[in-house]
Amino acid sequence: MKPPVLSTRDVSKEFGPGVRVLDHVDLEVVEGETLVLIGESGSGKTTLLRMFNGLTHPSSGEVRIHHEPVRVKDPINLRRRVGYVQQDAGLLPHWTVEENVGLVPLLLGWKPEQRTNRVRELLDLVHLDPQQFRARYPIELSGGQRQRVAFARALAADPGIVLLDEPFGALDAITRYELQRQFLSLKQRLNKTMVMVTHDIDEALQLGDRIAVLKEGRLLQTGTPADLLNAPAHDYVVQLLRHRSRGEHA
Amino acid sequence: MTRLLHSLCFTALVFVALPPMPVFSQEAHIIVGSKNFMENKLLAEIFAQLIEARTDLSVERRLGLAGTQVCFEALRTGAIDLYPEYTGTGLVSILQQPPTGDPRTALNTVRAEFLQRWDLWWLNPLGFENAYALAVPRARTTGIPLRTISDLVKVAPSLKGGFGYEFINRPDGLPGLETRYGLTFQLVQAMQQSLKYQAAAAGEIDVLDVYTTDGRLAEYDFVVLEDDLLFFPPYEASGLIRGSTLAQHPELGAILGLLANAFDAGIMRQLNYRLQEGGEPVEVVARDALSALHLFASDDAGTQPVSHQEGLLAYMWAKRTDLGRRIIEHLTLAGLALGLGILLAVPLGLLLERQQAIAEPVIRGIGLTQTIPSIALLAFMIPVFGIGILPAVIALWIYSLFPIVRNTYSGLRDAAPQAVESARALGMTEWQILHWVRLPLAAPVIMAGVRTAGVITVGTTTLAAFIGAGGLGVPIVAGLQMANTTVILSGALPAAALALLIDGFLGRVETWVRPRGI
Repeated sequence: MKPPVLSTRDVSKEFGPGVRVLDHVDLEVVEGETLVLIGESGSGKTTLLRMFNGLTHPSSGEVRIHHEPVRVKDPINLRRRVGYVQQDAGLLPHWTVEENVGLVPLLLGWKPEQRTNRVRELLDLVHLDPQQFRARYPIELSGGQRQRVAFARALAADPGIVLLDEPFGALDAITRYELQRQFLSLKQRLNKTMVMVTHDIDEALQLGDRIAVLKEGRLLQTGTPADLLNAPAHDYVVQLLRHRSRGEHA
Repeated sequence: MTRLLHSLCFTALVFVALPPMPVFSQEAHIIVGSKNFMENKLLAEIFAQLIEARTDLSVERRLGLAGTQVCFEALRTGAIDLYPEYTGTGLVSILQQPPTGDPRTALNTVRAEFLQRWDLWWLNPLGFENAYALAVPRARTTGIPLRTISDLVKVAPSLKGGFGYEFINRPDGLPGLETRYGLTFQLVQAMQQSLKYQAAAAGEIDVLDVYTTDGRLAEYDFVVLEDDLLFFPPYEASGLIRGSTLAQHPELGAILGLLANAFDAGIMRQLNYRLQEGGEPVEVVARDALSALHLFASDDAGTQPVSHQEGLLAYMWAKRTDLGRRIIEHLTLAGLALGLGILLAVPLGLLLERQQAIAEPVIRGIGLTQTIPSIALLAFMIPVFGIGILPAVIALWIYSLFPIVRNTYSGLRDAAPQAVESARALGMTEWQILHWVRLPLAAPVIMAGVRTAGVITVGTTTLAAFIGAGGLGVPIVAGLQMANTTVILSGALPAAALALLIDGFLGRVETWVRPRGI
C-alpha cells in the first residue's frame, strides 16, 4: 500500500461545550486516490475537509499532510498548494474568468505571460473556450460554467491535492451529470489526490475510489464502493445504499 | 480597490484643500461680535465702522452669534474683542445677581464685577435702554382699562401670552414678573421673536414681550404696559470690551467713547424699523446713523437698500456677491468636515472590521453623537474652541462620522462571504483579502456612507452661522429674525441646491467605484 498523503489520527472537534461535530476520527488518504466523505448535514464531513488545508483545526488529535502536522505548517503556503472547490464556486465577482483562474499563480508570483498561458490551458481542460470566456465576469456565466471555472482555478498551480466541498451540489441534474462525467475523465488523466464531500450516494459510488461514511461525527465505514455494496458494516450504510438510483452503478 | 482609494482621497482632499479660505487672515485686527438680533448687530456694525473710519485697525465682524452665553464666552476667551451688551443682561444673566431697578447701581455693579473677574470693560452707555416690556394689541384693550402691568394682573387669567424663549427662562423675565406682580396667564406659549408680532396681530395671542426699542412698535398698534412696580431691570446698551484689547489699542476707548449718550430710544426705534421692516442692510443703516452723528461723512456709496417686495430672484441677484461668499464659506465648512470625516471614519471602519468584539459598542457610541441636537453640540464647542470656523468644523465633523464608519464596517463585514471564504481557502493573506476582495466589494457601500454624510453635513452647516462661522445659515438666520421669507430663501435655496449637487456628485462617484461584475 502507498504511503498516506493525508491522514487524521484520533481527531475530535468541538464547537463549544457539548457540541461535538467530530468524534475520534482516524482516516488515511493515499496518493492518487479520490476519497469521498459522505454523510448528511451535521455529520462533520465539511469540518473534516477544512482541516486538511488548515481552515479549521481539531480540538484534539492530529491532521497530517505528507507526514507533517498541518498545525505547524504555514497555512498561507499550504493553501496555495492545495486546490479547493466549493459548492457555489465562490468566484470573486469583480474579477474576470481569467483573473479568477489565475488567482493562485498570481499569489505564487508567476509572470503575467505564464499566467495567461496557464489560464488558456485550464479553460481548454474544463471545456470552456478561452476566447469566449476569459474576459467574462462570473455574473455572465451559467451555474455549470461557474463551477468549471472554479475547477480550473483549483487546478491552476498544479497542486498535488485537491479538496472539493460538494462541488456539484448546486447544479441542476443534467449539468451535474455532465460535469461528473468530465470529472471522471479528468481524474484519470491528472492523477491527483482528492478528497470530496457529498451527501449524494450515487455521486460517491460513481466518483470515489474509496468512500468514508460519517454520521454524527463518527466514521462508520471506510472502503471501496464494492466493499460498501458487498459488506456494509453498519445499518446506516445499508440505509444509505438503499437511497441510490437503480442501475446507475455496475 | 485603487478606485475606491483614489476617490476617497480625492473626495477628502478636494473638500479639505480646494475652497479658498479668505477667513483666515492674520493681520492685527479687532474682532467685533454681536448677538443674533438686529439691534445688537446694528450696534456692532456701528462700532466696526467707527473703528474702521477713525483708526488704522482692520475689523473682522462676527455678527449674529447665538445669544448672550455664546457672545460672552467668546469675549471672555478672546475669540472676539468687543460686542454690544446691556447692563441688565450683564447683571442678571451673566453675574446671576438679583435684578435692581436703578440704572446707575446696575452699571456700577457690572463695571466692578466684570473688571475684577474677567478684565472686561463696560464703556459709557450709548444713551438708551432696550428693556423688556409687555405689550397688548390695542384691539384687545377695548373696554378694559389697561395701562400698567398691575392692570393686566386682573384680566391675565383669561389671556394667552406668547413670549420669547429667553424671556420665559430668565429670572428677570416671565418667572420674576409672575412672582412680583402675582401674574398668571391662561396659557403661555414659547414663540420665536418675530412670529409673536404676527401672532398678536392675528389675535392668536393677547400679550407678548417686546423690547422698548423694537421698530415694530411703530408699525403694530400695541399698548406698551407701564412697569409700575419697577420690576424690569435697566437694560442700558453699552460696548463691552476686553481689557487686554484696550491696553493694546488705547485709542479704542476714546473713539468708542464718542458714542456715549449718542442715541435715545426714539432714534433706535427708527433705526430698528428700517432694519426690521424696511429690510435695509445693517451696513447702510449703521453708516446713516454715524453720519447723522457727524462721526463720519456719508459718501452715499453704500449698497442700495433692497426692499423685500422685490422678487426672490431679483433679491438674490442683487445679493450675488454676498451669496457667492456665503456659498464658498458653506462649502469650505462642509468640505473640511466631510474630508476630515473620511480621513478618520474609513480607517476606523477598517479597524473595527478586524476587531469585531468592540465594533458594535463603538459604532453605537458614535451613533449617539447623531442624537445630540446640533445647536447644543455647537454650544458645547464654544468653551473649548471659541467661535468661528474651528468649532463649527469640529461639530460638523463629529456629525459626519457615523454614516461613514457604519457603512465602512458593515460593507466590509458583509462583502460576498462566499468569495471571501474561497479567497482564504486558496491562500490569500488577510491583508490580500481586504485589499483585493473586501474593499473593492464594499466600495459602493462605503461611498454611499460618504454620500449620506455629505448631504447631512451640507444641511447641518446652515447652523454654523450661530457660532459665527458664516455660510448660508447667515441669510437664513437673518431672515428668520426679520420674518422675511425672501431673505430666508436666499440662503435656504442655495443650501438645498448645494445638498443636491453634492448628492449627485457623490452618487456619480458611488457608481464609478462599483467594480464591474457586481
